[in-house]
Amino acid sequence: MTDFSATIAFGLVRRLAAAGTDTPSLYLLISDAGAIRAVEADIAAEVQVQLGLGLRSLVAAEMGLDRLEEALKRNPDRPVTLITLDRWLPKLVTALDRNVVSLTRGGAVLLLANQAVAERLLWAAPNLRNRLSDVLAIRPDEAFGGPMA
Amino acid sequence: MQTATDPKPGAVVFDRRQVYRPFLERLNPIGSSQGLLANGLIVAPDHDPRNAGDPPIHVALANTAELTRGSQMALVGGIGSGKTTELLLTQKELNRHGDAVNIFVDMADYTDLSEISPGAILATAGIRLYSRLRSWLKKRGKELPDAIKAAHGELRELAFGKTKWVEAEGLEPYGDEPDDDRQPVPVEVPGVMKLRLPALRSQVAEIMAKLDMIASPLLGDEAQITFLVDGLDRLIRPELFREFTEQDLQALKGTKISVIIVAPLLLWYDKSRFLQDYFDVVKHIPAAAPGPRSSAFLRQILQRRGALDLMDRTEIAAIAKYSGGVLRDLLTLARSSAEYAYRDAEDRIGRGHVNAAIKQLGNRYLVGLGNTHRRLLRRLIGHGEFPIENSTARELLVNRQVLEYFKGGVDYFAVHPALAKMLPKPA
Repeated sequence: MTDFSATIAFGLVRRLAAAGTDTPSLYLLISDAGAIRAVEADIAAEVQVQLGLGLRSLVAAEMGLDRLEEALKRNPDRPVTLITLDRWLPKLVTALDRNVVSLTRGGAVLLLANQAVAERLLWAAPNLRNRLSDVLAIRPDEAFGGPMA
Repeated sequence: MQTATDPKPGAVVFDRRQVYRPFLERLNPIGSSQGLLANGLIVAPDHDPRNAGDPPIHVALANTAELTRGSQMALVGGIGSGKTTELLLTQKELNRHGDAVNIFVDMADYTDLSEISPGAILATAGIRLYSRLRSWLKKRGKELPDAIKAAHGELRELAFGKTKWVEAEGLEPYGDEPDDDRQPVPVEVPGVMKLRLPALRSQVAEIMAKLDMIASPLLGDEAQITFLVDGLDRLIRPELFREFTEQDLQALKGTKISVIIVAPLLLWYDKSRFLQDYFDVVKHIPAAAPGPRSSAFLRQILQRRGALDLMDRTEIAAIAKYSGGVLRDLLTLARSSAEYAYRDAEDRIGRGHVNAAIKQLGNRYLVGLGNTHRRLLRRLIGHGEFPIENSTARELLVNRQVLEYFKGGVDYFAVHPALAKMLPKPA
């Protein structure tokens, strides 16, 4: 596995707080497939605690191309969007790549995927790859036994 | 520096977020270029990247649009090379004339780029031009002609579609019963001559007619109309972009409306030379080549955004070097370095933070590289050879693992320096 900086939800949300949640940012978060649900829950909890906001959470398989525009719409009350790429969806990834400017307009977007999906995404979506604020290996909180950045 | 108040009355504590947040906001590599331009954070190049003796790209494009109405220009460069910024600088340059009507459109703002069809550029430009025409006429105390209102309505229908109510189809003829309503079926008979560019599709021609109607009062008044079109470079594949050129831009030929469009990098290397043959002017933005002049330009970009407040010149030089001259990577590296420094509760960015950011960027470029890619990269590092006609090599170029440079009149390729640093040695 490529050696990306490791983090947990606490550190990730701390970064978002430092930059400000209205600042456009796009993170690719790589997680073990089995830990994805726990990471989602951790991020939602940290966004609530550190930023006092609700997390906008979308699952890629349920987004559908016809609902892409709706999915890309900003919600000022919930400026942090988590998109879980639960499996490889080439058409959706192409659509996200071509519309990456709309995706990142006015808020933070977190793409959460397992290693295999993340690798394919980085290769198949050059526009998106180039606009990533960072790529981070993310683990559930208990894996570290305490908060880290 | 701002501080936050402590629970103890009268006491103040240091809030490190206030050190880094403004810097991060100014550095955002995916922030709006329009906002940066308005805030004076853009450093405009002082010459053409391919010829130090020529004016900068935005000046050359603006001059052409001003002197030759109806000219069609393409701006080509890799992802993150600063094409949108050049386009915005061009628009700013064009605004110097009072009669200039400049329409800047990022197609992604108007349509889903993965579902876009020819005619979309014309439709978007026409809709934007209509609102400009309304205010132009209002300033002159003139009414909007009904024919133009109607053209706008029809244009919107063509662009966004409409619901039509039609009679249900009749029943199929039964048995030997004659079908009096049978219509002739078209059969294409090919001619002996192949058109240089395919004929305009009927829908594109229809959209063009509406656009022409909307533009007519402005053109009749000798206004200088320029469409600046961004976003279609994200289609990556040259053939998709070419479809729009052959339809939308071809339709605009002869209208005295100028177009400046951003094109995907692969077209620059296309054997057919379509870009060079079709467009009146083609400008290429290579990555900023290593050298004193380019390095000074990259340093200036960071300094304009306040880098010297948070790091020393050696850190700025390292960021400039490992960005490979890709402007978005320059900002990404500076931003990541600042985030690492914030994470470490440091008040300044040190070399360790910059190194960590370089490693992250290098790893990002390393992901997904197979053996064939690695062989090509090593061949480029070791022997300076890069077979651009090879499809795998082109993938590396599109993904910015390989960068294209121009120096001393020569085009050459190099592995992105952040990737080169992280590329494992062969076993």
